[in-house]
Amino acid sequence: MANYHPSNDLLIEFSAGKLPNALGIMVASHIENCAECQKKTNIFASIGGELINDIHQTDVNEALFGNILSQLDKDPEIIIPRPSYKGIPRPLSRFMSGPLENIKWRGYARSLKEYNLPISDNQYNAKLYKISAGKKLPEHTHKGNEYTLVLSGKFSDNAGCYDIGDFIATDNAITHQPKAWTNSDCICFAIVDAPLTMTGTFGKLLNPFIR
Amino acid sequence: MSEQSSVKLNPLNQLVIKIAESQDRVAFKELFESVSPKLKSYAMQCGSSAHEAEELIQECFITVWRKAHTFNPNAASAITWLYTIVRNKRIDLLRKTKNKEFVISDDLWPEPETGCLENDVESDLNQNIARTLLHGLSQEQRQIVYKVYFEGKSHSEIASDLGEPLGTIKSRLRLAMKKLDSLAKENITWLIIILVTTY
Repeated sequence: MANYHPSNDLLIEFSAGKLPNALGIMVASHIENCAECQKKTNIFASIGGELINDIHQTDVNEALFGNILSQLDKDPEIIIPRPSYKGIPRPLSRFMSGPLENIKWRGYARSLKEYNLPISDNQYNAKLYKISAGKKLPEHTHKGNEYTLVLSGKFSDNAGCYDIGDFIATDNAITHQPKAWTNSDCICFAIVDAPLTMTGTFGKLLNPFIR
Repeated sequence: MSEQSSVKLNPLNQLVIKIAESQDRVAFKELFESVSPKLKSYAMQCGSSAHEAEELIQECFITVWRKAHTFNPNAASAITWLYTIVRNKRIDLLRKTKNKEFVISDDLWPEPETGCLENDVESDLNQNIARTLLHGLSQEQRQIVYKVYFEGKSHSEIASDLGEPLGTIKSRLRLAMKKLDSLAKENITWLIIILVTTY
């Protein structure tokens, strides 16, 4: 069971339908396996219901109900079944072409490989990262926010140890150096809303190449 | 009154159950008349025009008719169920009109593979908790929560709407969240209190 969860602000925004983007996919992927956050989002959805209950009323066109009745017998849209891949949360599955072990990783560094997810937009850049077993990433900080969800393996940094399902939010106040646990690679779903800034000696050399 | 009978007595719940059980068009019309003016306000608060709001209501009620059998009054009350339908349809309609978004509501809230297991008998309690939470907030805190749900505004937009400094809005929101958080965390205690006082 996850030890690190999305903040209440995020869970409320998610329940309010305000995260129809990569961050929403990540929050949904965490919630799928987190009973605690499921419970909270159920309550936050009930708050939505309660607010609707209390809202003022706006007159509706008289013809609308007739229009609805005339469409009830039409055939519903055919829904393409969602693929299911081992180790990938269902909210993310539609954007993957296969299970984690079949990913075509990119990157020259031995310790870090990446895979671009097709859900980046002008607000968030979404990727999967693989940190090789026992390897450390260069120390870095962020110009904006970074959200990480552990999909397989474990990693740690100076703030804690993270296991499958953990949701970690970092920002420019945090400088860290993630390290995968020794016995397995660690695969994470990561979203950044601004470029990373490397702070270590080697890392600084890489800054111009990172976006 | 037992929890079960209270869940069944909720008038909106009864209407959806009738639609599910017997495709009852009278119940369908009654549900439409009681809820659609509120859903229209919701959509317009979220930024839709009157025309788009009615298109959204139409999509919602077609879904209500087709999916009424999936409504589980023990998992969520009818008003929350309707709220989730309108929230999801709004995302999907926006996506169609903007034509550049990738995410559909089914990505965010995939249909459960197996029925709801844990949530049984929670709906009434969740609704009670939600009501208690909202009523426990100050008017100002409530106003902000309302803006987050219905207007999707950023903190700085809320600040300029209300003519307050950004810091004030952030600290109000933080206090509201803290209150919601401690109440949500303690919801077991709340369930007991609500059970004791309601039933």
